[in-house]
Amino acid sequence: MTPGPKLVSILRQGPYLIASVHTALDDTQMTRFQEDLIEQIGRHRSRGVIIDVAALDVLDSFATRTLRTIGEIARLRGARTIIVGIQPEVAFAIVSLGMSTGSLETALDLEEGLTYLDGPTWREPDRARAAR
Amino acid sequence: MRSGNEPDSPAQPDITSLIPLVRRVVGARVHEATVAEDLVQETLTRVLATAPRVEPGLLESYAIVTARNVVSSLWREQDRHRRNQHRVVDLRPPDPPDTDLLASEEQGAVTRALAQLSERERHLLLAHEVNGRDTRSLAGEQGSTAGAVAAQLNRIRARLRVEYLLALDNAEPPTDRCRPVLLALSGGDRRRQREVDAGRHLLECELCARLSSPLLERGRQGRDDEVCIPIHSDGDIVAARQAARELAARLGFSRTDLTLIATAVSEVARNIVRFAEAGEVVVELLERPRPGVRVVARDTGPGIADVEQAMRDGYSTYHGLGLGLPGARRLMDEFAVASELGRGTTVTMTKWRRR
Ligand SMILES: [Zn+2]
Repeated sequence: MTPGPKLVSILRQGPYLIASVHTALDDTQMTRFQEDLIEQIGRHRSRGVIIDVAALDVLDSFATRTLRTIGEIARLRGARTIIVGIQPEVAFAIVSLGMSTGSLETALDLEEGLTYLDGPTWREPDRARAAR
Repeated sequence: MRSGNEPDSPAQPDITSLIPLVRRVVGARVHEATVAEDLVQETLTRVLATAPRVEPGLLESYAIVTARNVVSSLWREQDRHRRNQHRVVDLRPPDPPDTDLLASEEQGAVTRALAQLSERERHLLLAHEVNGRDTRSLAGEQGSTAGAVAAQLNRIRARLRVEYLLALDNAEPPTDRCRPVLLALSGGDRRRQREVDAGRHLLECELCARLSSPLLERGRQGRDDEVCIPIHSDGDIVAARQAARELAARLGFSRTDLTLIATAVSEVARNIVRFAEAGEVVVELLERPRPGVRVVARDTGPGIADVEQAMRDGYSTYHGLGLGLPGARRLMDEFAVASELGRGTTVTMTKWRRR
């Protein structure tokens, strides 16, 4: 890895993990991010994960699929994943691309994401604010 | 045949006197100054090559007709170049259009051209073009930067093209100025072309006039409304989509369309990394028939056996080819795939700017 600004930060906040992607990731970096995040979910026994992608100007098929995979693995490990900060034009591109995103829970921003995680009940995926 | 075959034919007609005329004809049809100047040069080159066979009194008319033809074939030619430009001397012998003899002649010319390069230049070029080493790793080996290596590679390619044409022509340049002029043309370097007064030399030197035509045609591609990103590793996917976004932004695309373009480029560039290992993405701004951006993703990979099947594959079918082509197609206005087993795949896609 080249030294320099961090590509991603993963912070622990109580029972949650907050992961922020700071810059465009290539596929290798994206995969490493997935591994790091899953590892930390297990290590901290996190109940919720927020992934902030507001800095990303593209979520292509690989990135979208990786987010989906993180969400499913986290779910199997007992954690709920919420993607926040998807830019409107990025959302439009994901839909145009034909990616299925039904299993992804989303919120507008970090604050709203935390509110969801603190909420008393799980939202059913089909009622979630998922781009589809 | 008229006097053209006689060694002592009458003095060459004064081509320079035709320049204002040709400028006027071209200028009335093409408004972009640099393109117009290229076309003027091309017209003069053609006129010069044919002048000995033209009735002296008809030279002016001939020049006008030639200028018109050159202008009207501009788009057709650019299409052809778009398809061929990266194959001109890419170290593989071109398709034999007629006979094996022609192919072997061309291959021989490539070999002789390569022999003109220094050991170091040859090593660098082959490491990049044949072994697929990227500029970053070559830079590491040289203690240089990727940008410097890329510039170096461009200069070497420009030289190789010149040496290739000379070898193909079996010609030894008659003057000391020939190689510098041909190099400046080959590199598409306008400043250098002015420094060596290339236009003048082309009027004076028959060999360079003849060889300059393919070089000028290439040089026209060296404009700043086009960018070529070599694709070798997944970092290049990010570089390609960012370059595409930046270039398209200059044309005033909406943020949404810029994102669609960048995403589509990401998809096709990934195909190159996944399935072909090496290739390039060329992004080009279009002015006509209306403003738009064209992306050509070209690789020298194994090719796609069933393009129709690849176009049907969705992301849900994880066991399909997973080429991401249908997705990219949905993001763009026009989309075409040409693939040949064992030779590679070219994806061409266009997005037009909405009014
Ligand atoms: Zn010359």
